[in-house]
Amino acid sequence: MNCERVREQIPELLAGRLDKAARENLVEHLETCANCRTEVAELNAVWRALESIKVAEAEPGMKARFMEVLEAYKAGAGQVVEMPKPKARGGWFGGMHPAWQAGMAAALLIGGVFVGREAARPPGNTPGPEVAQLKGEIESLRQLVALSMLQQQSPSARLRGVSYSEAIAQPDEQVEQALLYAVNHDSNVNVRLSAVDALQKFAGSPAVVTAMVQAIPVQDSPLVQIALIDMLVQINAKTEAPALVKLSMDGQVDDVVRQRAVWAVEKLTGQKQEKSK
Amino acid sequence: MEDELVMREVRAGDVGRLEELFDRHSPALFRYFMYLTSNRSVSEDLVQEVFFRILKYRHTYQPESSFRAWMYQVGRNVYMDHIGRNKGEVALPEEASQVRSNETPADREFQRKQEAVLLRRALAAMPDEKREVLIMSRFQDLKYDEIAAVLKCEVGTVKVRVYRALRELADRFFALSGERAS
Repeated sequence: MNCERVREQIPELLAGRLDKAARENLVEHLETCANCRTEVAELNAVWRALESIKVAEAEPGMKARFMEVLEAYKAGAGQVVEMPKPKARGGWFGGMHPAWQAGMAAALLIGGVFVGREAARPPGNTPGPEVAQLKGEIESLRQLVALSMLQQQSPSARLRGVSYSEAIAQPDEQVEQALLYAVNHDSNVNVRLSAVDALQKFAGSPAVVTAMVQAIPVQDSPLVQIALIDMLVQINAKTEAPALVKLSMDGQVDDVVRQRAVWAVEKLTGQKQEKSK
Repeated sequence: MEDELVMREVRAGDVGRLEELFDRHSPALFRYFMYLTSNRSVSEDLVQEVFFRILKYRHTYQPESSFRAWMYQVGRNVYMDHIGRNKGEVALPEEASQVRSNETPADREFQRKQEAVLLRRALAAMPDEKREVLIMSRFQDLKYDEIAAVLKCEVGTVKVRVYRALRELADRFFALSGERAS
């Protein structure tokens, strides 16, 4: 038995996975080879020491998150099955379902073909067009889950829906509308604040910027109003400065919000504004 | 019921059964990502992503193959995508700050902690392909044939890779600690 073959078996020896015959051969070799004995001693020291590396255990919340995704998926998949007889749904979201149904059906049909190739891709290989398509399919499912979670009863689930939407590389119009809806109508302030942050991705759309400006006076929370104003500054929405001037002079608006609007106008225009009374 | 039978049912459309597989395997998968990333929230996200892909691509599961090996294949791709997106970010060993400087070097507990810190550093500094094979073998308790299925290579290749990875870890660890085993 040569030294190279012996050394390749050392990890199995240390893990106790070597069968009896192989172990006896190895021990026999070690009795006559000082270099291999040193090798076993060194690797044994490291192998044992690895026991001292402890990592944190998962928290119970991980399961809850997974269950939300699973339930959302089941709900979405159910609608795909029922596509020939779409249910009449009320509310703002009703009109959107056929689109996701189509996307979902396409995703399920096409997606499976590509995952095998993706799984087989050795590290370092340049992904091909199939991988790009696969990623697109995952994105569409992620959108579906985000949209579904934004409709949940629980505020924490809706918050996760907002976070989910932030993970989407190129969110579509449905996600944009769902986030705007959350900013304007969600009963929970934290969800509204998160939705404002998430809308940053849509800053390129003039319609979204206008919708954000229009949302400011109707908000009942100064926190959300300030977050919206800050977002307009962050995206450098210079064209919205007149609307902010108007807001800063609106006596119905909270003082702190009006002061923030003054600050925002100064930031956007570079001009000092007279403090509103 | 065995993993493979449960996964067959998931594949056939009973996606609710995936909860069972999540319960069985997510703790180990979470630890796998913790060893790779040293980051709790990233590890949790990666676990979610793995099960998300399993759910979505359940049709591609080959009923005769090991579920665990398939899950780690998906996990490996999820991790590759993650490091592709976060190039340049270096995972820092989480417990490095837990070693208190007022403890004397003679303290055995201190030495043990210091050793763990150095090992973590040595492990974190290893190339990904060596680190992953070592983690699968040492911490995830995957057998060589399962690792071969994950990496899509021969069992003999796994044997050589695990040995080389352990050897490199030892070299890095002894270099950091300034000693060699006798």
